[in-house]
Amino acid sequence: MIQKLVDRLLAPAPQKHAGVMGIFEYVDDAAAAVRALRQVGHKDLSVYSPVPHHDLEHALEQGPSLVRWVTFGGATLGLTGGFSLCIYSVISYPLVVGGKELISLPPFVVIGYESMILLGALANLMGMLALARLPQVKSKAPYDPRFSLDKIGIWVPCTGDDAARVEKMLRGQGAEEVKVHV
Amino acid sequence: MSEEEITYETEMTADDVGATEHVPETVTQKSLTADCLRLIQRPGWLWWVVFLFDLAILAVAMVAERNQIVQGIGVAGHTRPVMWASYVTNFVFWVGIAHCGTLVSAILFLFRSHFRRAVYRVAEAMTVFGVMTAGLFPIIHLGRPWFAYWLFPYPHQRQLWPNFRSPLEWDVFAVSTYLTVSTIFFLVGIIPDAAAQRDHGANRFYRLIGHIFSFGWTGANHQWKHFYGAYLYFAAFATPLVLSVHSVVSWDFAMAQVPGWHSTIFAPYFVAGAIFSGVALVINLLIPIRSVFKLEHIVTVDHIEKLSKLVLLTSMIVTYSYLVEIFSAWYGPSSNERDMFMWRFFGHFWWAGWTMATCNSLIPLLLWSKKVRRNLPLLFVICLFVNVGMWFERFVIIVSSLARPFDPAPWGVNYKMSWTEGAILAGSFAWFFMFFLIFIRVLPAFSLAEIKETLRAPMRRKA
Repeated sequence: MIQKLVDRLLAPAPQKHAGVMGIFEYVDDAAAAVRALRQVGHKDLSVYSPVPHHDLEHALEQGPSLVRWVTFGGATLGLTGGFSLCIYSVISYPLVVGGKELISLPPFVVIGYESMILLGALANLMGMLALARLPQVKSKAPYDPRFSLDKIGIWVPCTGDDAARVEKMLRGQGAEEVKVHV
Repeated sequence: MSEEEITYETEMTADDVGATEHVPETVTQKSLTADCLRLIQRPGWLWWVVFLFDLAILAVAMVAERNQIVQGIGVAGHTRPVMWASYVTNFVFWVGIAHCGTLVSAILFLFRSHFRRAVYRVAEAMTVFGVMTAGLFPIIHLGRPWFAYWLFPYPHQRQLWPNFRSPLEWDVFAVSTYLTVSTIFFLVGIIPDAAAQRDHGANRFYRLIGHIFSFGWTGANHQWKHFYGAYLYFAAFATPLVLSVHSVVSWDFAMAQVPGWHSTIFAPYFVAGAIFSGVALVINLLIPIRSVFKLEHIVTVDHIEKLSKLVLLTSMIVTYSYLVEIFSAWYGPSSNERDMFMWRFFGHFWWAGWTMATCNSLIPLLLWSKKVRRNLPLLFVICLFVNVGMWFERFVIIVSSLARPFDPAPWGVNYKMSWTEGAILAGSFAWFFMFFLIFIRVLPAFSLAEIKETLRAPMRRKA
């Protein structure tokens, strides 16, 4: 029973991808291939690598991640929420000690500050997971375990004659292996 | 670009794959993955012996805790006026231990200090397990631990709220935030490495663990983009958090008008002390791991030496703080404060005071010598002394100040640790090491992705 469950969890997703996957050893080859493919109109590329490479990021012309705005929203909510909680609690159950102000902001700074960090970090996590599409059950390209080891993969979604052209192009750019998925 | 324009070299040279910065040139992306996953897959008999011994100690501590719950907090050695003793000492000690991980993973990340890559996962794991251990002690110290949830603000019928002006409530927020954020930071960092484990693990069990922790990671460009976009902000949040948490812990004491506690230097002094003990424990963990699992080429002597320089630096800051405290007491107007510092070193707990000064200020002076810093067995022993010294520092601050209040009536009543407290102290180490031992058994203890970044990227044409 458990073995069946493990087998099911480990089973690869069924292949329903149409396109060409080129596997590269060298970063500069892969970056050149990305540039060349984008030049001929293949903008919907995916590049897989065990580590991020600046060359590839530049070739893909990736902008900065938008996760920072989600994080900013979470942190702002945390800061205001932390102060609001403290202020609400002293107003809802007033205990005046020695005639002192109920709303004494300096000690509330600690609560506001920690809440800002807590909600900011949680929003950062949520933002990252949402934008990076994680957890990912179904890959949008045929995944190869070598992408987590030492190889770089370039996935170009295409069909027919286009696939043949892309295959030739990838081989020309130094791909050590090219697979066409129809 | 046509095919003719490309000049191909037939083979990758050692220069192309070799590392330049902190990892030996023989390490390749493939060998690194194999070495780190080997650590998970083959723990060997030694791991089992240590793990079972650890569980035995934990079982004794659980019996002691059960005894305390059934018979009441009186079985601990607390005697008025020393009502905070070993449990609060342990709490501050373990929060301190937890600080190094965030220093190494977040602060050194922001400073682009690349030596952290080989060691930060171990330090981060230590942070998470350290906070999990620290968080137990305020609960253990409660007379009725089943009401621990009263510490958290939640709406209820009587509209009662915790006192947000109390440093003890600040502690609840600081420590729970620290536990949450450091756990997220730790688990997010593991995602790409868990994917490598999923793809290359030796058997189905390890691959399944990799599946769970990798969240379906594929290493696609959009994933890396958002991963590092978020990682920067995790580091940016964790850095002020780490400084605030131990400051808040120090205010548990500094906000009270008790001689020896009421000092403005407490926050930076506690933060430096926390990093001091944390880095020492990281060294204590890394030296056996690299030796037992033959990972000397990944965690090199250079890495350990850099960490030992951090130990030396923080030892100097802690020593400076001791001297400032003593000077302030001598120069200041309060005779109680002067009396307290004389009593710390020449009173009932003189042995604790001198153990603290010897282990934290004198013994680390050996680290000025490069030979000592690179002599790993000696460094291991020095770091053990540092941890003993830092436990005693917290003991001296807490117990000696409480045992000598303004009112001289209870001066002769001194605290003595009970067997229950001793067992629970030993159990805290067992609890911490239980998690750590399981961690190195199931997940990559070294960051594959980040160490791979240290290796030179394979290029066909050299720049």
